[in-house]
Amino acid sequence: MSTTLAEPSKPPTGQDDPAAPPTKRRDPHSWLKIALPLAVVALFLFAWDTAVRISASEVFPRPLDVARGIRELMQKGLLARYIVASLFRVTWGFGLAVVVGVPFGLFLGWFGRAYQAFNPMIQIFRPISPIAWIPVAILWFGITDLAPIFLIFLASVFPITVSATAAVQNMQPVYLRAAQNFGLSRVQLFRRVIFPACLPQIITGIRIALGVAWLVVVAAEMIAVNSGLGYLIIDARNAGKRYDLVVAGMVMIGLIGLLLDLLVRRLETFDEVRWGYANQ
Amino acid sequence: MSLRNTLLLCFSGWLIVITALHARMNPESMRGMEELLRSFRRQKDTVSTEKFKIGFLPVTCHLTCPVTDFINQQVTGQSTFQPVRFNSWPELKESYLAGHTPATFILAPMAIALREQGVRIKIVYLGHRDGSAVMVHKDSQIFRMEDLRGKRVAIPNRYSNQRLLFFRALKQAHMTIDEIELLEMPPPDMPAALYSKSVDAICSGEPFMGQTELDGYGRVLWLTKDVWPNFISCVLAVRDDVIQTRRSDVQALVDGIAKSGKWLDNSMEHRMSAAQFVSKNYYMQDPRLLSFVLSKPPDRVKYTRLTPLKPDFEEIEQLGKESGILQGTAHFEDYVDPSFADVATEHAEAWNFEGPKP
Repeated sequence: MSTTLAEPSKPPTGQDDPAAPPTKRRDPHSWLKIALPLAVVALFLFAWDTAVRISASEVFPRPLDVARGIRELMQKGLLARYIVASLFRVTWGFGLAVVVGVPFGLFLGWFGRAYQAFNPMIQIFRPISPIAWIPVAILWFGITDLAPIFLIFLASVFPITVSATAAVQNMQPVYLRAAQNFGLSRVQLFRRVIFPACLPQIITGIRIALGVAWLVVVAAEMIAVNSGLGYLIIDARNAGKRYDLVVAGMVMIGLIGLLLDLLVRRLETFDEVRWGYANQ
Repeated sequence: MSLRNTLLLCFSGWLIVITALHARMNPESMRGMEELLRSFRRQKDTVSTEKFKIGFLPVTCHLTCPVTDFINQQVTGQSTFQPVRFNSWPELKESYLAGHTPATFILAPMAIALREQGVRIKIVYLGHRDGSAVMVHKDSQIFRMEDLRGKRVAIPNRYSNQRLLFFRALKQAHMTIDEIELLEMPPPDMPAALYSKSVDAICSGEPFMGQTELDGYGRVLWLTKDVWPNFISCVLAVRDDVIQTRRSDVQALVDGIAKSGKWLDNSMEHRMSAAQFVSKNYYMQDPRLLSFVLSKPPDRVKYTRLTPLKPDFEEIEQLGKESGILQGTAHFEDYVDPSFADVATEHAEAWNFEGPKP
């Protein structure tokens, strides 16, 4: 009993091998984890710069032009404003998608008849690009923040629902049989067995959906909002030859996307999720 | 801490922080939400007393909209209407159709087509005269209309007057529409398309045409004033019900636009001043671009003689029918309400405003 209680307080070693040494050894090549991606980035920037120089393009910006563009946006105080606006819309759109998508997906996964009834409709809605929904969003929500939030919600709710449904459907029957042997009530069964068993797969779905939500920010901000990184790209296209700002918007979307992915990956270090990967 | 608690704590904390930051840094977004909520609560039949919103795009065809707003704010401390900037025609039109912008600057043939489709729309004033161009690459061998035979030409929209302009120009050159390939493309993308030579010619409103000239790779094939003098591309349109319920507001708007038009055409100093404050506050463009298209040559675009006239619109109707975008079921009296323009033309004088020096 004492060992099971002591286990969660152990710092995670990131290794599942019980024979692993108890003290964490420093990886002598850990610097490579940072140096390798940086080298690829540097190579990419060099290739981009060389390509623009060789083609002598007057329209396409060089990396340094983009860096200057980002600095200009920072000096005008626009960069922080736009990042906050985009994150606000994605937070609400994606948050609502999680609140709706996870319970609905679990419901569909558990009740076969409900799945039969709703699945075709979900599969019809799922492949429709958020851009196609723009007229509907304007009609319902006008030219307010609710329109892009609605588009981001639509883009992310389906991957979350589908992954939660699949998680219940793919659950190993042995968990349920064991729970029944213990005589768990329905609520207990859901809270203590079904939800924890499905969590790793749901988290994977959420991670994909967050990527999608951030991906559609450009399309969602095509509506007459006057802030956001997507708006920055569309606005810069209207502003004559400011393709440095177009690429600056792309770079910022990419960098924040990377940060968001790193954050969601942190979830995978929790014991409640890690066991799912260990089973695979 | 367990996963559930960590998630709940982090997400709700983040939600509060990002919402508070957004409300602080982008207050106009929050005001939009408040207005939307108020409009849900309001009875549909009650007359709104709020400032009404006008849709516009960052093009010279709609320049009088931001100019009127800016001068109104400088002269009286407030504007009588709220300009709402869109980035493309479809969103601008959809917002008008949904009633979020009861007045809008819109392509003339598009307004007529909407009337034919039963939309309650009335043209009350013109946005400008002239102000479009056809550009080719400076290295190209295209020097006359006839040289465009078999070439690919980008136009903004099938309902744009630029398309009708081509129909007119082709007729003058004894050519048919089958002899060139027309391609629809958003005007902001046209300069890059011409630069990369993926199209042979581009045609839209300014400042996108002037941009190619300013950047040194575009050459003017012809300006609209050379082919279709007093060309109309965009008009100011208002919903029928707004005309009935808010006549004085619509009149004030048309008066303001008329005053701005006269102010812009009064002197080159005014145009240069407008290029500065509109670029910085409304269009977010390099002021050099607007300065260029408003001055080279000065009659590239004009903002006077903006009363809608029957013969002009009959010609648009005729070309619209020939080009297949109009049915011919709506006529001048159906889609134009000239009463506001008549009053404005009689009374409106140019603004007494000098504007910030460039």
